[in-house]
Amino acid sequence: MSNQPLTDSINPTANLRLRSVKSAHRWQVVVLIGLILCSMVTLATTFGIVFMLIYESSGFFLSDEIELSRFVTDTRWSLGQSKGEKFYGIWPLLSGTFRITGIAMLIAIPMGLIAAIYLSEFASQRTRAFLKPVLEILAGIPTVVLGFFAVTFITPYLLSPVGEFQVFNGAAAGIAVGILCLPLVASLAEDALQSVPRALREGAYGLGSTRFEVTVKVVLPAALSGIISSVLLSLSRAIGETMVVVLAAGSTPTFSLDPRTSSQTMTGFIVETFKSESVVPGTLSYYSIYAVAAVLFLITFTITVAGQIIRARYREVYE
Amino acid sequence: MLILNLVVVILLTLLTSIAFQGGSWLSWDFLTSNHAEDNPEASGVYQAIIGTFVTCLVCGLFAIPVGIGTAVFLEEYKPSNFWLRQFHGLVQLNINNLAGVPSIVYGILGLTVFVYMFGVFGKIEVNQPAPIEMGATYEYQIKTLGKEWVRFKAVDRNVNFFEVTEPVEITFGDGTTAMLNVIPKSESIPTDKELKLRSVFSGAKGSIFRSYSWYYFQFPFGKGVLAAGLTLALVILPIIIIATQEALRGVPDSLRQATFGLGANRWQVVKGVVLPSATPGIMTGAILAMSRAVGEAAPVLAVMGGVLGTTKGLTSLMDKSPILPITIYQWASDDNNQFENLSAAAIIVLLVFLLMMNAVAIFIRYRFEKRNRP
Repeated sequence: MSNQPLTDSINPTANLRLRSVKSAHRWQVVVLIGLILCSMVTLATTFGIVFMLIYESSGFFLSDEIELSRFVTDTRWSLGQSKGEKFYGIWPLLSGTFRITGIAMLIAIPMGLIAAIYLSEFASQRTRAFLKPVLEILAGIPTVVLGFFAVTFITPYLLSPVGEFQVFNGAAAGIAVGILCLPLVASLAEDALQSVPRALREGAYGLGSTRFEVTVKVVLPAALSGIISSVLLSLSRAIGETMVVVLAAGSTPTFSLDPRTSSQTMTGFIVETFKSESVVPGTLSYYSIYAVAAVLFLITFTITVAGQIIRARYREVYE
Repeated sequence: MLILNLVVVILLTLLTSIAFQGGSWLSWDFLTSNHAEDNPEASGVYQAIIGTFVTCLVCGLFAIPVGIGTAVFLEEYKPSNFWLRQFHGLVQLNINNLAGVPSIVYGILGLTVFVYMFGVFGKIEVNQPAPIEMGATYEYQIKTLGKEWVRFKAVDRNVNFFEVTEPVEITFGDGTTAMLNVIPKSESIPTDKELKLRSVFSGAKGSIFRSYSWYYFQFPFGKGVLAAGLTLALVILPIIIIATQEALRGVPDSLRQATFGLGANRWQVVKGVVLPSATPGIMTGAILAMSRAVGEAAPVLAVMGGVLGTTKGLTSLMDKSPILPITIYQWASDDNNQFENLSAAAIIVLLVFLLMMNAVAIFIRYRFEKRNRP
């Protein structure tokens, strides 16, 4: 380090000091190596996930029983059942996932955005101090609890009076996932709105705009990239959500748009397959876990990357 | 405004419906007993609480130091070396991506790596010892002619049954040792009682008996709390790193510059100035991440399976154990409707757990903010 000669010239006990600086330097190198090793863990996790998904799902796709073309086109999936002919079209699982995600987004995006706009632009200090913790508590509720809520409350008390819903249905799961995503959208979008500088707002007020006009015409466009990335993040969260759908959405994969029926999702299939103790490494149903997980990972990864690109490219930076 | 009221209503409905359903099932017995098959009245969450605690301990012990280390590397060390700089950027990019990976994928990773280790050590079978292990003793147990179970040391741990043909040293149930008396099949049973107690016919089979100490360790880890805890650690690692980075960014640069000016090197600055003043932020982030781990069920379900209870309890880190979220899940999907109420009671326990952790986080934030105020 550059302070070594300085210590040398000033300090009469330079010899002693020099040694300690040296050992401090050596210690610093040791620490740096330790920190790099820590950072390696996250890299290793990513490489582990990617390698695992490719390596193990190749056992599925390269199997003699599987044709890749039927995996991407067939609309029947029966790998969860032990008997009968094997169908392995991914579409029923995909349709289950997107049905539930769609309902969840219908709830989370409008409500979350309105909540964020209200909190950031209209709420008084006191309402904020009350509502922010409420959103934080809602965000901290474990997903398995929301799944339980969907089965014991949403289906029997909210949905059954309105229409003919199966005991386990996609709508209840979708609503619960929506509740789960709402605080996420709200807090991320609020952060984005808050980071719009005060000067922009003041300028618009100075031109005679109302508070509503300022919000809609100035603040929202300025925060748009942050809002979109918050929506994308919650979208990928909804797609990967597991415990709610396992509890509430049922275990029959169906290829339809009807939210009243049982709709197994990709994550739901993975968990159901794990639960049946028959899964042994080397069997087709074992490999099918990885194949489905690979599709799931590909979708969420694409969404995450898209969110990052949008945030990086379209972010308005104010000094 | 209406929407926000709706949020409050949702939260209240959720909490009251659960309190209504599970409240009457909460009792001291519920907290101190274990899951009983087909008997909701006698079931409880004792093992699940212990399991949750141990799993989270493993998770925190791994994730918090590694997370803080990574964040310090990302925030405080801006390397000048070309390769290190590339590495630095890659890690930062990677963390943002990892935060978006579904937790079930981490669960599959945990299963593949921690439980099976990609099958490098061959297929892992039931009733076969793990490839590498420590802290386990293998004995054969055999019934002597005096109807007494005795044990003797196993030479090969992979052999489940062993035919006795030669005398070996045996241990009785009360700990006393003796030599085994092997008599040929043609001879009759000895009449002497003491001799009868330690005699077997030649060719009698002893079956393997494994006993594990509390520090029992095996590799691959198998379906146990160690594997589950490490998997959870991977899940919350990005959260801890991001929270720690935020906390480190909040430390004013003037503090760093002043310490550099005193002749400190980078690590001394980090250790002596930056980390202490970022502690409240780091600790709040770590506790919030841990509370995420407490409520996470999917990855553990993938790694350990849906365990509801074990007969011997948690004796070492390689053992399976139920945890609260999985207990909730299994009870909620049980055919017996009584278990649904129990599940609600378990949810109350879990929420109280989470509430306490959050209260600690808020307390720390409040305490340190007060102290650090100029």
